[in-house]
Amino acid sequence: MERMGTPWRLLDMGAISAAHNMALDQVILDARSSNQVPNTVRFLQFSPSCALVGFHQAVELEVDENYCREQGIEINRRLTGGGNLYWDESQLGWEIFAPKNTPGIPKRLEDMYRLMCEGVVVGLERLGVKAHFRPTNDIEVEGRKISGTGGTEMGDIFLYQGSLLTDFDVDTMLKALKLPIKKLADKDVKSFKHRVTCLREVLGYLPPLADIKAALAAGISEVLGITLEPGGLTEIEQQRLEKELVHFQSEKWIRGTRIVSQANDLRMADYKSRGGLIRVSIRLDEKRQLIKSAFITGDFFAYPARSILDLEADLKNSSSNPLEIAKRVNQFFKSHNVRIPGVEAEDIYLALCLACSREGDRNDVKAL
Amino acid sequence: MDLEYAIPENLYYDTHDFWIKVNGEEAVIGLSDYGQSNTGDILYLELLQAGETVGRGDKLGSVESGKWVGSLLAPLSGTILESNKDVLVHPRKVNTDAYGDGWMCRIKLRDSVEVKGLLTAQAYRKWIIEQETKEEEIG
Repeated sequence: MERMGTPWRLLDMGAISAAHNMALDQVILDARSSNQVPNTVRFLQFSPSCALVGFHQAVELEVDENYCREQGIEINRRLTGGGNLYWDESQLGWEIFAPKNTPGIPKRLEDMYRLMCEGVVVGLERLGVKAHFRPTNDIEVEGRKISGTGGTEMGDIFLYQGSLLTDFDVDTMLKALKLPIKKLADKDVKSFKHRVTCLREVLGYLPPLADIKAALAAGISEVLGITLEPGGLTEIEQQRLEKELVHFQSEKWIRGTRIVSQANDLRMADYKSRGGLIRVSIRLDEKRQLIKSAFITGDFFAYPARSILDLEADLKNSSSNPLEIAKRVNQFFKSHNVRIPGVEAEDIYLALCLACSREGDRNDVKAL
Repeated sequence: MDLEYAIPENLYYDTHDFWIKVNGEEAVIGLSDYGQSNTGDILYLELLQAGETVGRGDKLGSVESGKWVGSLLAPLSGTILESNKDVLVHPRKVNTDAYGDGWMCRIKLRDSVEVKGLLTAQAYRKWIIEQETKEEEIG
């Protein structure tokens, strides 16, 4: 992409509270929208640790509030979409604020995600990490998620943000968030932990934070064809921040007011296939016919080894309608050339349908 | 250029990809086929409720797809008469039946002159072609 003239601001406020970070997102969107500040790349860090839900999520369904309260973990709601996140003080976030019609930025969301993530992929490469974009919006290293992303817009300005797992306390995350593994055995929990990775694990050491930030900034600059200049908040932004902070600390914001009734049922099923046991654990919103997340384990071997991890990513927020599940699983097996001795696409489909069904209806689950 | 998107002739449109069906002093609105295609599978939808008023260009609601939260900006000013409760629970209907079951709101118009600022099907088609051409130029 061609390097464009006007430099973008590189903003780094250091570690601040969840409400401060959420309020800042709103303030910068406002300021950019009224053309008071340049396009901006921002790093975000949190102190204390926090549990964040996506804009349309309900805190009570996504976060273990008692545990968070006991541990001093803040709870807040993002402006952006996506799922629940645990964000400890060692993680680094990145954000991009720019007009939607910025030359070179695609209008179609899936193309835009790819471009935004590519900047971070290139940045990670500078640190010696071979990462890739995985649709819909993850960045992965050998199939294991290292960065999740999401976005929003205000008028003609968009905000795209992502987390980067640098050094990660998985055990606290499992306790702070309501995830589809609460009732699983230790072996399965270990397998769940394998779904994510962090810089320290990939590299064998944790580079200094300044080096990580420099690499990400360079990667984003290169991919977007921009020049970044370090800068601070303008006076107008600082004034707005004081006002917005009150709102973003309020229960009204954190819990939302218009969220349509949602559900978050944890369902599990064991399915015996020729190749071994398939254990499926899902979070299901039955009313909306939505698999919010899926976790598939078992005593089988998949080739390529990352197939199941990629399938789980593909199933996130997908329809729980049996026909749709069958279509999705079949398509995935074909497009990814998945081979699992003794396990067919239909076995995975049946295991998922069993998990989606109510206990009493399980005898009705049939192959299509 | 042939377009793969449905653009019914009997509707108005705007550049935020709303379709608008005007019936006297009322209008029904929803997301166009082009709009839903760009947005992707919709997971969550929020809309203003009956009785609330909205100005043209003001936020009418929000939509989430693939972790993106987008604002829905009202194509016309007025008072919400009804929001489609079914589509709030099953927002994918916006994707599967954009001009039918996927409708979003029924509005009592505050100023029917605003209708003159909307795009006809022909003008909207031309606008989409311009957008697609720009995308192709970007590569």
